[in-house]
Amino acid sequence: MKAKITFKIWILIAAVLLSLISIFSIPPMAFQEGVIVSSVEQNTTIFESGLRDGMTIKSINGEQIKTIEDYSAALMQLKNLGENETQRIEIITKELPSGIVNLFDSTLIDHVSVENIPSTRIKTGLDLRGGARAFIKADKPLSDGELNDLISISEQRLNVYGLSDVKFFKVKTSDGDNLMGVEIAGSSPDDLEELIAKQGKFEAKIGNDTVFEGGKKDVTHVGRSGQDALITECFAVEGGEACNFRFTIYLSEAAAQRHADITDTLSINGSYLSKKLDFFIDEQSTTSLNIGTSLKGQVATQISISGSESGATRNEAIEAAELEMKKLQTILITGSLPFKLEIVKIDKISPNLGEQFTRQILMAGLFAIIAVSIVVFVRYRRIKVSLALVTVSLSEVLIILGAASLIGWNLDLPSIAGIIAAIGTGIDSQLIILDEARDKFESMVQRVKKALFIIVTAFTTTFVAMIPLTGFLGFMGIGAASAGLLKGFAVTTLIGITTGVLISRPAFADIAKQLEE
Amino acid sequence: MKFESWYNKNYKKLLIIPAAVLALSVLYLAFFYIQTGDIISKDVSLTGGTTITIQSDASQQSLSEFISKNLTDFEVQAISDNTGSQIQLVITVGEQNTETLQLILEDFLGYELTSENSSKETTSASLSADFYKQLIIAVILAFFWMAAVVFIIFSKGKKAKFWTVILNILLGFFMGNFFLTINPIISGIIFIAFAFILIKMYIKNSVPAFAVMLSAFADIVMTLAIVDLIGMKLSTAGIVAFLMLIGYSVDTDILLTTRMLKKHEATNTALFRAFKTGTTMTITSLIAITAALIVVYPFASVLNQIFTILLIGLVLDLFNTWITNASIIKWYTETK
Repeated sequence: MKAKITFKIWILIAAVLLSLISIFSIPPMAFQEGVIVSSVEQNTTIFESGLRDGMTIKSINGEQIKTIEDYSAALMQLKNLGENETQRIEIITKELPSGIVNLFDSTLIDHVSVENIPSTRIKTGLDLRGGARAFIKADKPLSDGELNDLISISEQRLNVYGLSDVKFFKVKTSDGDNLMGVEIAGSSPDDLEELIAKQGKFEAKIGNDTVFEGGKKDVTHVGRSGQDALITECFAVEGGEACNFRFTIYLSEAAAQRHADITDTLSINGSYLSKKLDFFIDEQSTTSLNIGTSLKGQVATQISISGSESGATRNEAIEAAELEMKKLQTILITGSLPFKLEIVKIDKISPNLGEQFTRQILMAGLFAIIAVSIVVFVRYRRIKVSLALVTVSLSEVLIILGAASLIGWNLDLPSIAGIIAAIGTGIDSQLIILDEARDKFESMVQRVKKALFIIVTAFTTTFVAMIPLTGFLGFMGIGAASAGLLKGFAVTTLIGITTGVLISRPAFADIAKQLEE
Repeated sequence: MKFESWYNKNYKKLLIIPAAVLALSVLYLAFFYIQTGDIISKDVSLTGGTTITIQSDASQQSLSEFISKNLTDFEVQAISDNTGSQIQLVITVGEQNTETLQLILEDFLGYELTSENSSKETTSASLSADFYKQLIIAVILAFFWMAAVVFIIFSKGKKAKFWTVILNILLGFFMGNFFLTINPIISGIIFIAFAFILIKMYIKNSVPAFAVMLSAFADIVMTLAIVDLIGMKLSTAGIVAFLMLIGYSVDTDILLTTRMLKKHEATNTALFRAFKTGTTMTITSLIAITAALIVVYPFASVLNQIFTILLIGLVLDLFNTWITNASIIKWYTETK
């Protein structure tokens, strides 16, 4: 008997090939050189020069960049630059072959983060790759519009802070509360809670009068590099070191006029005015600045914001000061949220744990496949049958992975459980086909027809059982909150059983026919 | 052929065994409910609370003793890799003790916990309660809709099918919007009314379809009873395992029902042939899951619970498909 590749088998082969393309891309990503930009801070020189996340850096100053090590080495020269010194850097990316050329100072290193090009397009979820996920609730019920506002401000905040691989989503609880969900891939800042759940109301007051608040209305520009933002000095204090920072902000005309009107009424007390300029964050006083007599009644559009942070060593103190400065800049740029927030769920998963786990899952899959092929061989005593069944099952895994990378689905643990479920029912269905095909009392067409009837029935039951988890039934009020966490299970199961019943089962029926004829 | 004649004589009596086991399981679950206030014991992902995972080879006992100086209600679990060497410790506390625990751990380890060296998961009790409610609704609805599909496929008569679809869609709206939110007694009564009308219609119009549902229902209830009996605390993933179980368990029942209703040979021949295919299916799954469970077990992840529940459920499925369902459908085909 000569094996014949029927039309249905060709479809399966085509689906597997397309899946391979979807997973590995063309040309294969594993062979591409360069590093991928994972985030670029907004309002920085490099951002304004055109570098964006997702771009592939090919070379810096003519030196080819193949790995993260090459990238760090190429930017080493920037590290040695002193304050206010800049250097000409030329960055060539795949997307901008003409290159980005500009003068950069040493802050460039902090403003851009890169990662190696992944070898596949498969995206893994937080529980495997590490990252943070939080569900945030406001102190009052939010309308859809308010939730959208909250998301856009939070998005901007995290962007300004330098986190760009961030996903926001809406979660509805069964009590009708609107929650905001945030997912941040990779390692996340340790003060994430503060960053996302803070109302971030910045106020500058003289006495009881507000001079300006954070946000676009009053603050037109926030200095973030060069002379406009810097660590001014460090000194020893009890228990370590402390560093002062200072950055400049530019006020709108209206805010500057308020400054003039308020200071005009103050009396002079030595070389300063009688009242100080006090800064408040979320109604907590942070710093107070003396106002020089020369500023009395002046329309001041430029204001210096300063502060101090300490640490055990000089480096720690510098880091703490830079971080604090960044936080202040963030809330000055984005402004305040109109309500107080509370974190109702926060998961931070270390990237190291996920990696070990992925290996473990692959091992488990391998063992399961070996176990299945042994059982099938013991039952049918034919190596061809065993091989055909395992090959079709493996091609189903590829098709699920291909479809998942095509729609950009993040594979988390529930998704993997879903793949297991789909493959399990797939093997069940193939066993049904094999046994039906051996039924000697009926014609081959009838046998296959009966097998497919059983399979389609089984498929339909699993299909409807998964629907409540997908979130598609939101209009019925079903599965909205839990869907966020377990959707992956439903999605991969549905992809698996659907492609199974449409593509691999018909092909396997043709293979089984040939094995029996 | 000794077995066949024995089986022909006694298959109806065999039904007493699953009926007794099912009754015992229901009684046990009722007893469990009275004692604990719920039919399952829930882990931190369903009750709310904080879990911190640290990478440490310190002994579980020394850490427990250290924490017990300051906290009373906590749990420490050790996780090892395949070679048996311990790689992580997982500590669970109530949500209100999150910060205390973090300080205690930092004191114990002598370094600060960051998002690089540890994982931290916190869920508020109210949100967890909501997740739990939604998951229960998803599982109940999944079961009812699965039953509806089985009925529509195996029964005859358009009118009954039409009402099945309408009633199940209405049930969906009821579950999503009112179940567990309005007065529990009223919503309970409405739910039971839905179930009663549907079951009555299923039995009246298609005994084979009802046998499939009964067998799947018995699987779930018996598995739940065993899960409670061995003291397993269910997580969100564990509830997903019950959804997987619904899918797996009806596969063999559908196979059996189709073979029996569309048979061209003697009842027993068809039954034994279905038995051969069906057990191959279930045993293949059992062996694959056992192999996978052995590999992932030391990692103490959510997959352990999923696989363990599936193992229990699939063994019970062998029992329910080939005793419960098989006896009912044999009875049905022989009286017809």
